[in-house]
Amino acid sequence: MIESETTVGADLKITCSKDELVQGLSVVGRALSTRTAIQILSGILLEASGGQVRLAATDMELSVRAVVAAQVEGEGSVVLPGRTLVDIARLLPAAEVTLEHRAAESVVHISSGSASYTLQTFNAEDFPRLPDFAESETFSVARGPLLETITRVARAASRDEARPVLTGVLVQFAGDKLVMAATDSYRLAVKETALGGAAPDLEAIVPSRALQELARIAGDVDEIAVGVQENQVLFAVGDVWLTTRRIDGQFPNYRQLLPESFEHELMVPRAELLDVVRRAHVMIQRATPLQLRFADGEVTVVARTHDVGESRESMPVPFTGEPLEIGFNAEFLRDGLESVDGDDVKFKLISSLRPAVLEGEDDFTYLVMPIRLPG
Amino acid sequence: MRLIVARCEVVYSGRVSAVLPEAVRLLILKSDGSVLVHDDAGGFKPLNWMTAPTFVADEGDKLVVTKPKTEDQLEIRLIEVLSDVEHDMGESAALQKDGVERDLQEALAATPEALGEPLTLVKREWATEIGPVDLMCKDAGGEWVAVEVKRIGTIEAVEQLTRYLAFIREDPAKTGCRGILVAERLKPQAVALAESRGMRAVAVELAVLRGEREPDLTLFAA
Repeated sequence: MIESETTVGADLKITCSKDELVQGLSVVGRALSTRTAIQILSGILLEASGGQVRLAATDMELSVRAVVAAQVEGEGSVVLPGRTLVDIARLLPAAEVTLEHRAAESVVHISSGSASYTLQTFNAEDFPRLPDFAESETFSVARGPLLETITRVARAASRDEARPVLTGVLVQFAGDKLVMAATDSYRLAVKETALGGAAPDLEAIVPSRALQELARIAGDVDEIAVGVQENQVLFAVGDVWLTTRRIDGQFPNYRQLLPESFEHELMVPRAELLDVVRRAHVMIQRATPLQLRFADGEVTVVARTHDVGESRESMPVPFTGEPLEIGFNAEFLRDGLESVDGDDVKFKLISSLRPAVLEGEDDFTYLVMPIRLPG
Repeated sequence: MRLIVARCEVVYSGRVSAVLPEAVRLLILKSDGSVLVHDDAGGFKPLNWMTAPTFVADEGDKLVVTKPKTEDQLEIRLIEVLSDVEHDMGESAALQKDGVERDLQEALAATPEALGEPLTLVKREWATEIGPVDLMCKDAGGEWVAVEVKRIGTIEAVEQLTRYLAFIREDPAKTGCRGILVAERLKPQAVALAESRGMRAVAVELAVLRGEREPDLTLFAA
């Protein structure tokens, strides 16, 4: 586990593998703040001691820490401009790189082969103290089920920061089951996943962005350690730590949103329908709805944008009864079809103004509200 | 307003020197004294202009526009006048924007229940000594509710509503007055601050309030 104390004042000097440094910087660089108002948050903290350099970055919502093996000639810590450091490291010409902090001049000298850089530093004392999980209890979760659940659910979370709870994913560990749910009020994705082993019961609303970053950095480890504190959640992927704040608030009672009965339940070839929707999506602009016209034995997908044009494509589906015309946000429908698992998708419909449900072959449910069609 | 379409050359002298070579241009001489030189491309911005007050000397084959107390001068040499007309534009009428706070306030006054609870409007522009409250309403239980309407709900709007509430609650009959911040777009920080102070923050759409558009279908009231 990584220590989170910062040793300030000494002059750091390390030599390490360029590739390992680039890998470490690329991982922690995901947490760099894009807001320039607080300069220190655009920096990466480097702490050298005990044969390693520890890297950290945070935007105050998310923090990522990583460890790189290094020959440490001088212990200490320093904060360097993150983006510049990542760009420099990627382009260095030799296999090894040396970083030497000259505290008196407030610079770090970077050298690798024929290249050398002198980079102004930020004050390490200004770097925020990151959550310390060294004493916290963690439990391990198999990487595959955790990431699969994130990938299929997190995209349904809202991007509207005015409603913070909806920007998060409800994460519930219950016995040997993991449940995740996300909704932006227009759609809902819920997945139950068997973990293959018991985990402590807990529930937290975790920012969707943090989970998606976890999916990106998770690499090829077998297990991911999870720790939960009052305000923070930790995910440890080997020597990489990702911590994120928990979102306060009441997550919508998603179970009561799921309709109990439907007028139509159709098994539709998933890939074929997804291709039709993707082709139609090209013609959708300015949030115009995608129209699905269900009639005996077929569905016709129509995309029409004023001043742009129209597309129309039909495919056979086992629909019977009164024709049904329903509009959807094309992106939301595509996301649902991409998230469902299996060759066929069960398309469950009630009416043109009631939610539709997509289900696959496992415990995943995608609920999507229609859009009113004009006229 | 005088509109001249002419083949002309324009020489500006003053802080810098600039010449617009001979070409057909539209010259606008407004009655307020401002002078604008346009061509038929380059967007809405004039090629050259002088803001009021100005003095325009019409010397027949040239217009000399000067700005008092400065060295700025626009000399417009008229080579061929294609059109020269003058219009009396009458009284100036200000630009009327739709979708401003007043429009939202009017629409909400007509449909206060759009704020998500059964409210009855008591008065628009409820006067207080620190400024008018946009809407004063009463809820189903007869309690007062002060509604501040903004196009964009910011922290400053929450602070403004906080000041109104503090003032209103000094009245023993209105000590339980609640506050609602309503806007077309709410800043997350404003929502957090409003909720921490026991106020509601509600996002609305003017087109929906006016009945011009049906609200989006949602799984739940967000």
